[in-house]
Amino acid sequence: MSSGFYDQALFTEHLEVALEELAQASGLSAHEIVELVEYGVFEPVSGTSAGASGWRFSARAIVMGRRASRLKADFDLSLSALSLVMTYLQRIEEMEAELARLRAQLLR
Amino acid sequence: MKYKDYYKILGVERTANEEQIKKAYRKLARKYHPDVSKEKDAEEKFKEVSEAYEVLKDAEKRKAYDTMGYYQPGQDFRPPPDWEQQFHAGGGGAGFEDLGDIDLFDLLSGLGRGGFRAGGGPGRAGGGLRMRGQDYEVTAHLSVEDAARGTELEIPLPVTEMTEDGQLRRTTRTVKVRIPKGATDGQRLRVPGKGGPGHGGAPDGDLYVNIQLRPHDLFRVSGHDLYLEVPVAPWEAALGADVQVPTLDGRVSVKVPPGSRAGQKLRVRGKGLPRPGGGEGDLYAVLQVVTPSVLSEREKQLYRDLQQASTFNPRAHFG
Repeated sequence: MSSGFYDQALFTEHLEVALEELAQASGLSAHEIVELVEYGVFEPVSGTSAGASGWRFSARAIVMGRRASRLKADFDLSLSALSLVMTYLQRIEEMEAELARLRAQLLR
Repeated sequence: MKYKDYYKILGVERTANEEQIKKAYRKLARKYHPDVSKEKDAEEKFKEVSEAYEVLKDAEKRKAYDTMGYYQPGQDFRPPPDWEQQFHAGGGGAGFEDLGDIDLFDLLSGLGRGGFRAGGGPGRAGGGLRMRGQDYEVTAHLSVEDAARGTELEIPLPVTEMTEDGQLRRTTRTVKVRIPKGATDGQRLRVPGKGGPGHGGAPDGDLYVNIQLRPHDLFRVSGHDLYLEVPVAPWEAALGADVQVPTLDGRVSVKVPPGSRAGQKLRVRGKGLPRPGGGEGDLYAVLQVVTPSVLSEREKQLYRDLQQASTFNPRAHFG
């Protein structure tokens, strides 16, 4: 990276983060992330043969993790309620992305 | 210092109990939380609401706030003379004559941490002297051209900083961010250490940039692919044609095959947005068959001749 700029990173599917980094960046505890993985909110992309400490996540999980952390704190949600909210939000986002994709193809 | 009416923001009476305050907060959070809300200005509104709740849910902060008195929102005010001693705010040297630039919330959120000078800025982090800096999230609106080429942005951040004489002051810090080529709608960029300053030796927060593309006059973006509506005349669709279409880097020729129909997509490989891992998306020319709205006598006659000569029935499937 050239001088004057910082060690910044674009979150793509190619960039991975460790459990610890995900916890630090999201504000969730490692324990909470492990539980949310059990609920299917997060899915490690590699390192699954080892224990949780070896898990690696897509950097996009940071965006989700930060959102989960905000929702948990601001609405005082339990982890199971949070997992439900996150599942629905993800589903809405997927549908919105699909809608945007289809709209892009439509004739005006 | 400018007054903020936290009760008014939450829509509760000044006599409201804890339960009523919590309920009012939850209702407004449900409405304005930026992660779930589609309301305009949701983020700004939610910031106000959560700030009000932060103060009013905490008995000590609420009492300190109530003791300041009641003013009009936005009105310049000064707490009563004994307020500072009563709530152990301020600290050596920081008398109220210095409070002009202090934000009311910064002052209140520092209570109970040995004075507001030791406290942090407005953040979600808890108390304590050692405190990681606040993370910031901002949305950057880019043109499609800038996203394709990559660009540099100067992002102004409202940060709470400690001045040399130990006072907290809200100021604007500008952070330069390079958006690499290949960024697209909805992507995030993290700039470590460029959020709010940490306190007591704790690290600075991070800056997250949410990238959004501004609508383009011609191109519509889907992931790294671009869609371009290409109007063609009926005879071009019927007979085929070579048409010139714009791309992000100049015009290219596209072959419209004979017998094309409206809505048909013709792919122009590699003329979409670059992908961060290398390669490019594609450009799709979406054909739109347009007819002239005004026809000359000669054109009308040719259409009539075509009508006579053609056996084509576009509604054959209606039976």
